Amino acid sequence: MAPDAIVLSDATTADGYLLVLAIIFPVIGILLTLAFGGRYVERIALVLLLAGLVVAIAIFAAVLRDDQSLVYIVGNWKPPLGIALRADGVSAAMMLTIAVIICAIGLYARGEFGQSQATVPTRASYAFWVLLLAIWSGLNAMAVGADLFNLYVALELLTFAAVPLVCLKGYEETIKAALRYMLFALLGSVLYLLGIALIYGAYGTLDIALLSDRVRPEPIAWIAAALMTAGLLAKTALFPLHLWLPPAHAGAPPPGSAVLSALVVKGSFILIVRLWFDAMPGLLSFAAAQLLAALGAGAILFGSVLALRQARLKLLIAYSTIAQIGYLFFIFPLASGDSASTPWSSIAWTGGWLQLFSHAFAKAAMFMAAGLIAEAVGHDQIADLRGIGRALPVTIFAFGLAGLSLMGVPPSGGFVAKWMLLSATVMEGQWWWAVVMLVGGLLAGGYVFMVLGKALSSTTPPVLRVSIPRHSEVLVLAVALCAVLLGLVPLQPSEFLTIGRPDIHTTALQ
Amino acid sequence: MNAEMLLVLTLALPLVTLAGCLSRQFRRHVAVLLVVAPLPALATACLLADGSTVVLPPALLGLTLVLDRPGAMLLGAAALLWITAGAYAGRRFRGNPDGARFAVWWLMTLTGNLGAFLAADMVGFYLFFTLASLAAYGLVVFDGSPEAKRAAAIYVGLAVFGEALLLMAFVLMATATPDSSLLIGDAVASFATSPWRDYAMAFLILAFGLKIGLFPFHVWMPLTYSAAPIPAAAVLSGSAVKVGVIGLIRFLPFEVPMHNWGEVLVIAGLFSTFYGVAIGITQANPKTVLAYSSVSQMGLLAAVLGMGLSAGEKSAALVAAFSATFHVLVKGGLFLAIGVATPTKRGVWLVFVPAVVLALGLGGLPLTGGALAKLASKPLMGQGIVGVLATLSAIGSTLLMLHFLRRMWSSTTQSEARASLLPWLATALVAIVLPWILYSVVTDEPLRDAMLPKEIWEALWPVLLGSLASLALWRWGRLLPRLPAGDVIAADKGLVRLADASGAAMEKIDRYLREWPVATALLVGLATLLSVSASLGR
Amino acid sequence: MTSGVLLGYCGAVLVGLGLFGLVTNPEILRKILAFNVLGNGVFLLFGVIARRGAAAGLGADPVPQALVITGIVVAFSATAMAVGLLVRLNKVSGQTIMTSDDPTNSGK
Repeated sequence: MAPDAIVLSDATTADGYLLVLAIIFPVIGILLTLAFGGRYVERIALVLLLAGLVVAIAIFAAVLRDDQSLVYIVGNWKPPLGIALRADGVSAAMMLTIAVIICAIGLYARGEFGQSQATVPTRASYAFWVLLLAIWSGLNAMAVGADLFNLYVALELLTFAAVPLVCLKGYEETIKAALRYMLFALLGSVLYLLGIALIYGAYGTLDIALLSDRVRPEPIAWIAAALMTAGLLAKTALFPLHLWLPPAHAGAPPPGSAVLSALVVKGSFILIVRLWFDAMPGLLSFAAAQLLAALGAGAILFGSVLALRQARLKLLIAYSTIAQIGYLFFIFPLASGDSASTPWSSIAWTGGWLQLFSHAFAKAAMFMAAGLIAEAVGHDQIADLRGIGRALPVTIFAFGLAGLSLMGVPPSGGFVAKWMLLSATVMEGQWWWAVVMLVGGLLAGGYVFMVLGKALSSTTPPVLRVSIPRHSEVLVLAVALCAVLLGLVPLQPSEFLTIGRPDIHTTALQ
Repeated sequence: MNAEMLLVLTLALPLVTLAGCLSRQFRRHVAVLLVVAPLPALATACLLADGSTVVLPPALLGLTLVLDRPGAMLLGAAALLWITAGAYAGRRFRGNPDGARFAVWWLMTLTGNLGAFLAADMVGFYLFFTLASLAAYGLVVFDGSPEAKRAAAIYVGLAVFGEALLLMAFVLMATATPDSSLLIGDAVASFATSPWRDYAMAFLILAFGLKIGLFPFHVWMPLTYSAAPIPAAAVLSGSAVKVGVIGLIRFLPFEVPMHNWGEVLVIAGLFSTFYGVAIGITQANPKTVLAYSSVSQMGLLAAVLGMGLSAGEKSAALVAAFSATFHVLVKGGLFLAIGVATPTKRGVWLVFVPAVVLALGLGGLPLTGGALAKLASKPLMGQGIVGVLATLSAIGSTLLMLHFLRRMWSSTTQSEARASLLPWLATALVAIVLPWILYSVVTDEPLRDAMLPKEIWEALWPVLLGSLASLALWRWGRLLPRLPAGDVIAADKGLVRLADASGAAMEKIDRYLREWPVATALLVGLATLLSVSASLGR
Repeated sequence: MTSGVLLGYCGAVLVGLGLFGLVTNPEILRKILAFNVLGNGVFLLFGVIARRGAAAGLGADPVPQALVITGIVVAFSATAMAVGLLVRLNKVSGQTIMTSDDPTNSGK
């Protein structure tokens, strides 16, 4: 084994401090709001949102330039006793996506939770900004965590920040939804913690790199992995564990729904991938992979059919999230197949991550558009949205673009991801997933056209209660365009997403 | 202006015009915009040499555009039809605030349509194919009437289904191509060695068959063309459908004779040919009759391509393109004619007489483009049963077209006020003249051969028999059953109920799964199941 | 049977009880309490693991102890938030039972 490979992930790299900044900046923001009081919370949040975006871009650029992952050893205590933060290609791309979406949501939320100078800040708006920052911190921590327990803490931070976002409006149904989310997520966390206990008991370490070497295919590893995965699936709301998602995402305020659907559910998904591909490579049996993908297929079919039957726009989008999450789980049987030498060099790896990123942008745009519509007409009953395309053309156009990404129509990130995943099914010979993906695209087309058809029908537009400022509509369009821009990615396994992968595995061989 | 710029401009101008519709200034000149937008396409088709290529930069998806001979023919005819139909539409919507909305859908369909004729890589083709199909939804549903909504729903459902099949075909082809090139030429060349050859062919034929209306996927055509406004029906039936034809021409591997798939195409095509006639003569609405005529004509085209595929004859592509070119202008023109037909003397001379010539041309009236097309395809169809059936189909086409003319005559109330005759006349003129100009490009036979008395008689007797049959139809036509437009799809009530019932069942399951005890029990069960499946090893 | 194994079994029983309570009790407060029992079972398991890892003069492996402390803090804040939500729910609607929801009603 080459000696220079050892150096890489055992020491803080030159720009490693950026990783700490990425986690700390939002926390600083929260502390500043506690110090300065509620009146300045929006301004502080926006400043720190901008700073965080700059940090995310810097991390992405650093990983791209150095062609290796960024590492930061906290306190200079090396694992297994200390904690390492590691940003490989996937993490860097994830953090950039998170940063862009959260900044967009922050700007969008100024409409609902913004504070003019004179008014007394409401509790809801104060809470929103603090929670947004906390969610961002949690997501960044999840992206760069290299230690299973660190990731557990990040997971909990994410959940605790996301739950109050659901019931920010204070209605009885939203509080019930928040409680349901909280308790189900807690059950998931406890199962995850139980898995950690078993792993530590068996292998004596929780650092991902070290673990990847020590793990053996034995019952304790299987049970631990299964417990952790089940717990994380509860948080990702994979079918049939999706009970909390529709009321939670539909009941939250629009910026809250956007961040919940686009980013929060993906946080636990990243952890599942890290678990099976990084921490315990070789443990993913064919049966387990097919089981996960089967649940994903169930999610796609179920979620799409149910989305078609919804009468409310926000519930339709929430069920669409349930469906789209299913696509992500095709990464398990397809990326770990035999035709590619390593999982991350297969086209399914790139396709799966691209699906995650483009869905994040598309879903954020959809919820933001739905929020604008609901604000404009006072309700979100689809049947009563006839002709709204005339009143809010930019918003509906953005909704349409996001919908095209969900359907997998070029040019969009969704199309590229779909092509890559379909190619992977052909190469692996697992054609049944291709059938599911195509049917899913059909059904997605169904519910997207259901909404667009109503919006673009030729009757006179409904009377708008409130006029929507142009810049909000343009912001939604910009987010939807990001989903379309991802369609420019070439149809090959991405090199960027493989940066830093070998680090984890060669380190373990010491 | 060199070749590359002209190719780019072909697609750029409609897109720029589309963007321009955002501004109120532009919107006032919608009529002019619709006529001007396809002009670069016409220039491209007429002026550029065969094989002109341009590769767009990666920021524009790196699409490759190429002009080959079948593409050039179809592009030129399509551009002409879009121009004349655009003039018609501009006149019809003048002063109407809805005109801008119509123009947006129009220009999107135009871009997709033109792009599909030029695309040389699979992603580009898929992009333009999808754009043309989905944007047409807006054209079909434009009136907002219940029939339009139903037609548009069925259309878009089948269109999205076809796109899914096409995507799978493309993925299969791309995976089999060495160094995963996305160029159509490379993909088709790798057909010979591809392990997924048959699957890809199946998906391709299904997808393009759906687009051109082969039985049983023809059901959207009658509904769509009856429900869309006249200029939209003209371009959809004339030009947008030919995207499927160019797809077959580009993607079928004529170098590799595939006997089985060729036979499938021939059988499906010939069946559609006669089926279209059989159902068409029961219809009363002239638009619906034209739609069934499209089903019939496209079926014949598919049969020609099928024979070419079976025999490994590359000339089938050019012959089919020639036929399709004629059909673009005739079908589009006849729809425009419906819009301007009046029972006045002017109407008779300026509308009906040319319409008779055009319509019978589809049946193969001597000295029309149709006859030339049939002449060109004779060596391909051969002398066996296929050739005989092809000749007999001319009888059916004549019958159907005469039925159409009669229906057009008796429903002149469909003609629209303020419709100008000029677009119709221009289209008719080109439809009559163009085939003669193109004939020498298509075959090596001299043009004089088409005017030999032998050939004229070969073309004439089916037309005469068809006319006799149409007299019989006129006499006893009342005895025929009245079938609903879309025939097979009338069973959709049952399908809708089935879909609704299964949806309701899934809702019930969802409500059950979302009970707290059920979900948490499932969570624990899932953990067990995962550990068991992980233990099962590789 | 050493104390470690006995405590391990205790932990397992607590986990089982907590899980059962969380799944079956309709009352939200009981669910929260069951979650705490479940969490305590896991912490007990950590303690057993710590004991097993005793070496180098220390009575128990310090890492699991650190994990338990973090876990207790997390469980405490989780309980606090859940109870807070429960109190709010009771104030708004007078309910304390988790009913199956009708999603078409959830908020505006």
